[in-house]
Amino acid sequence: MNEEVQRTLLEIADDELILGWRDSEWTGVAPLLEEDVAFSSIAQNEIGHARALYELVARAQGTTADALAFDRSPDEYRCAPLVELRLMDWAETIARHYLYEEADAKRLEQLKQLDDPEIAGLAAKIDREEAYHRIHAQMWFDRLQDEPRFIEALEKLRPQAETLLDSTKRGEHTPELTDLWEEMTMVRRSQPVGTTW
Amino acid sequence: MNEQEFLEYVQSGGQVETTDWMPDDYRAKLIKFIEMHGNSELMGVLPEREWILRAPTLQRKLALTAKVQDEVGHSQLIYRVVEDLGKPRERCLDDLISGKAKFHNVFHYPTRTWGDVGVIAWLVDAAAIISQKALLKCSYAPYARIMKKICWEESFHILHGRDVILTLMNGTGDQRELVQESLNRWWGPLMQFHGNPIAKEEDPMYVWRIKSQGNEEARQQFLDGYVPQIWELGLTVPDPKLRKNDEGIWEYSEPDWDELRHVVTGHGPKTEERLDLRRTARENSAWVRKAVLAEAA
Repeated sequence: MNEEVQRTLLEIADDELILGWRDSEWTGVAPLLEEDVAFSSIAQNEIGHARALYELVARAQGTTADALAFDRSPDEYRCAPLVELRLMDWAETIARHYLYEEADAKRLEQLKQLDDPEIAGLAAKIDREEAYHRIHAQMWFDRLQDEPRFIEALEKLRPQAETLLDSTKRGEHTPELTDLWEEMTMVRRSQPVGTTW
Repeated sequence: MNEQEFLEYVQSGGQVETTDWMPDDYRAKLIKFIEMHGNSELMGVLPEREWILRAPTLQRKLALTAKVQDEVGHSQLIYRVVEDLGKPRERCLDDLISGKAKFHNVFHYPTRTWGDVGVIAWLVDAAAIISQKALLKCSYAPYARIMKKICWEESFHILHGRDVILTLMNGTGDQRELVQESLNRWWGPLMQFHGNPIAKEEDPMYVWRIKSQGNEEARQQFLDGYVPQIWELGLTVPDPKLRKNDEGIWEYSEPDWDELRHVVTGHGPKTEERLDLRRTARENSAWVRKAVLAEAA
């Protein structure tokens, strides 16, 4: 696997990990119990996708998925700012969800066309799950499209969504990523690298 | 059927469906009991959800998210049973956040470390499943039915919790210390969990056969199932009087019943903060429910 492909996979894996992390902030406090269950499922899917992608890259780099997910410093992550934002407002969360799924679908289409059958196969598998996320996002889009706060959230976040598909715009992070990273790695960092959890 | 006949019916193992006649007192007791169960599942989410964000591996994060998701799903199922008995979910949630309704003692305490994540999933869920298995024979059939699914899922939580604990106990000295320190804090609430040892014939929930075993019976079952495992892992139970006597009965120091009463009446160390979090979350998302309801109308 060449470096460019590794970098692309890492970008997607980091997006999925950080978005999954953000989505799981809703676990237990979502607006409706049904949505709580749904968003927890989505979070688990995204983390599962991140893990599968990290595993491919980890094999090429002689490391592990967990080491890639947790043991890098914040500036080494390749995720886009859109997924880093702490959005504990449902309108903003749904706006991000919608914009992300839209871009992710395009990105997965490209991956599915790659010559590497392992990557193309994984992309197809991920896409089958993302299809349900897109249905979910569309349902909420239809439901909220006339809500002023949702329209505003979409307008605010749309420019950020563009970086999802443009590698050259990645690498700059929001301060929110550092806070997230501190919390995400605090248990793991409390013991020496290589400790089993 | 009059009230006495109904009582004899449930006491001889009879079960009741939603549309069957039932005494008002029975209905009221059912609602109170099942609502508290639903509240407990929902409030039980809060001590653990903070640790989803700190889970130290991808696998642990997935397992913990799935566990917490199960608890929310349980509360959803349970509130539906309460709704069929005449109290809508929204009213249950209003009573919960206003502090009027109760939830289980163990969910009023802080989760301080990753060790707590293991102890909760293993031992708190073990104590809970003992109570819940005794509900499989509940005289109210719809509740007994959903309990099958709930018990099945809870048994996975125990496996997850045990695996977290085993990994820590096989790890560094600090990790083992994390478990012991956590067990020390949780033991008191765990011993209080099944309630004071009133004779089951005096417990209205038993009289109506809403539950099928007494409090002390449940506690003995917990001790019998788990103390040997705790010891086997090299952990110390923080009760010098704990022993199994020659008749096979577990003896232990008197649990702090004042603490239990104090905590479940809304004065636990984390009660206010957690109810506040629910209140704020509910206020901030009121517009979402309004939008959804408008669509449904």
